[in-house]
Amino acid sequence: MTDYIIEVKEVSKIFGGLTAVNQVDIKIPTRSIYSIIGPNGAGKTTLFNCISGFYVPEKGEITYFGDPIQGLSTDVIAWLGISRTYQNIRLFGNLTALENIMIGFHPNLKTSWVDAIAHSPRYYREERQTLKDALHLLEYVGLKNHGDFLARNLPYGLQRRLEIGRALANNPKLLLLDEPTAGMNINETEAATKFIKQLRDELGITIILIEHDMKVVMGISDRISVLDYGTKIAEGVVSEIQSNPRVIEAYLGPGGAALSEKYKSQRRSHA
Amino acid sequence: MNNYPLRTSAKKGLIFAVVLIFLVLIDFQVMAATMISKAMGTNVVSGGIPEVQYMIIFLVLYGMWIGSNASPKEGRLRDKLLGGLVAGLTLGLVIAFFDLILTYLLRSGIDVRRYLSALGPNSMRVFLLDQLEAGPVYHLLLFGAAGFLGGLLKILFNSEPVKRFFKNIKTWIQQTRQKVNQSMPPWLTKYGIYVIYVLIGLAAFFIPRSWGSYNNYVLGLVGLYVILGIGLNVIVGLSGQLMLGFAAFFAMGAYSVALLNAPFPHNILLGFWPSLLVGVVMAVLAAVLLGLPVMGLRGDYLAIVTLGFGEIIRILLKSDLLTAYTGGPRGIQNIQGPTLFGRPFSNDVAFTYIILVFVALSIFIYTRLERSRTGRAWLAVKEDTKVAEATGVNIKKSKLLALCIGAAFAGLAGGIFAARNLFTGPNDHQLMVSMNILSILIVGGMNSVPGIILGAFTLKGLPEILREIENYRLLVFGGLLVFMMIVRPEGLWPATRPNLEAQASQKVPEEDAPETGGPHD
Repeated sequence: MTDYIIEVKEVSKIFGGLTAVNQVDIKIPTRSIYSIIGPNGAGKTTLFNCISGFYVPEKGEITYFGDPIQGLSTDVIAWLGISRTYQNIRLFGNLTALENIMIGFHPNLKTSWVDAIAHSPRYYREERQTLKDALHLLEYVGLKNHGDFLARNLPYGLQRRLEIGRALANNPKLLLLDEPTAGMNINETEAATKFIKQLRDELGITIILIEHDMKVVMGISDRISVLDYGTKIAEGVVSEIQSNPRVIEAYLGPGGAALSEKYKSQRRSHA
Repeated sequence: MNNYPLRTSAKKGLIFAVVLIFLVLIDFQVMAATMISKAMGTNVVSGGIPEVQYMIIFLVLYGMWIGSNASPKEGRLRDKLLGGLVAGLTLGLVIAFFDLILTYLLRSGIDVRRYLSALGPNSMRVFLLDQLEAGPVYHLLLFGAAGFLGGLLKILFNSEPVKRFFKNIKTWIQQTRQKVNQSMPPWLTKYGIYVIYVLIGLAAFFIPRSWGSYNNYVLGLVGLYVILGIGLNVIVGLSGQLMLGFAAFFAMGAYSVALLNAPFPHNILLGFWPSLLVGVVMAVLAAVLLGLPVMGLRGDYLAIVTLGFGEIIRILLKSDLLTAYTGGPRGIQNIQGPTLFGRPFSNDVAFTYIILVFVALSIFIYTRLERSRTGRAWLAVKEDTKVAEATGVNIKKSKLLALCIGAAFAGLAGGIFAARNLFTGPNDHQLMVSMNILSILIVGGMNSVPGIILGAFTLKGLPEILREIENYRLLVFGGLLVFMMIVRPEGLWPATRPNLEAQASQKVPEEDAPETGGPHD
């Protein structure tokens, strides 16, 4: 039971007449990198929103360490240790990079507004510790000396990193990354891939990844799920997914499997 | 690329002409000339007509403004030179036709004051520069020349040497500042701020004593609006809830102090200080009552609901039904003033002291809150509510807290306001009060204490000092808002975010210094 950090059981999310996520079952092993792939509109981000509490699924159950979490508000879910980033970067643009990270620490802090006005010793200690931790985290995500820039003035790649930094601040056990390498060039993508791996290896965080860049997905995933039209059509390790005819069909259309075989044999004969 | 720069200039001249005609119709030009003449040391009897030369100065300034505005920023030198002239001449031409109408009216002795109450024959005459026949010609020449001059000035200010000159001055100031900073001993940089605080404190202690009661009244009013501005800023600027009924909380404070401290209608006479506390508590209670149901609303919806709330409170206070409890439309008179150590403490100077102390307290509380965990959470909620929640901020709690703290400031200001005026009534708590406070934030700069103080002085202090504006207060007010939105949307003194990283990296060597003996010793 406890081998899985999060279990999504037959979860459905319906918008009006559209079933965005349909009876999806996913089990995420602890300390793994788990990728969710699929064509545009397959319901990947909707599934993310269900897990992080933005949406309440109509059917099914989501358990976190065995306890159901669907229907909890997002701040409670963040407090439980589930952090996320967003497909289109959503930073607090008019605050500095460092302040963005400091807000990430919010759920773990205890001082109230009364402490803040009185500057109680507790407040002093906590605030100094937060600043120290935030500076450390800033360096960890590679934004040292960029801490005083307003978040909206940072270059794109750094904004992505800052978002991950903010998500890391509340010591998450589970990190949901929604297309972390979107819009990056090859070098940046490579660095980001390495960084994601590093997060798992150094901090022991379980990572769920939505990604379109197959090189990234195939490079770092322990397991992969494929969604299409809201339904899970395949699950398994990298090699299983690569050879799965349904997956190929979902990406290349009907007859795609045959096409792919033909392409492969051609390549083989060339070699 | 604008192919017809001169046509644009002419259009601008036309717009300015319409504006000027409007200003003349409401007799604004006389007020402006009066102010100019006052600034140059010649007093004008109130309601009197200033001398012609001041009118000329006003018109020339107006023409130069349009000239510099209409002269294109880029393009050929000829267009730049002619732009101002063309705009000025267009303006002059339209005004010349307008002059003909004015002259006709003056000649035939028709009194237009029946329709345009401000436009008397004397102010028409002074606008025509006392030249009934030649007035239009004078205007045409004057505006043409002024427009040309304005265009020239713009070219001059945009020219390379002048730009370089200003740049040099700027760098010089920066360098000097750096030098001064470096040459200052470290104890001074650390404790210098306290020296400034003490100086401000001394000034705040001695200045009100030597001032007359009118100046004290104005200073007190500005101070009250600073407190109100800070309160509203917690709600609008920090937590991002657009609140348009802020005067309701102000009324809560004012009526608490009034009802508990006046011989009529209840004759409780609780004393100023306890009732001030009650006022603050009542305002907070009102905030909770308002906040709980509307927590889910955002943006325009919240604005409408809070606007309605403000009006409901005011109308309730005014209603016949509650007259026995609230004094009704006539309000509450003879509110008892505060006492200090058993002695009355309620003259002008004393009230100024009370207000200044509370202003200092408000600023103190505000700054500490803004830079704390709570303040960061508020800002996050303002920036992106959804993401803030997913980052672990409890939105409802956070928003409600901001509303309550903001309301507490308003209740405080309301209580002092009522006691100082010895009176409060429904008319003290109109929608305009809420709008004034919001405008202070917009003009001064949100989330910036110096900005709020500056805004309060500009919007509340200046109109009291420049009594000539009195009749045109709303016009100037609106004009200023539009102007600020175009030229400086972030406010007179915009807020800055703290440079925490730089500060932290500076602190590290300082902490090491004592261990290594320190280079300064």
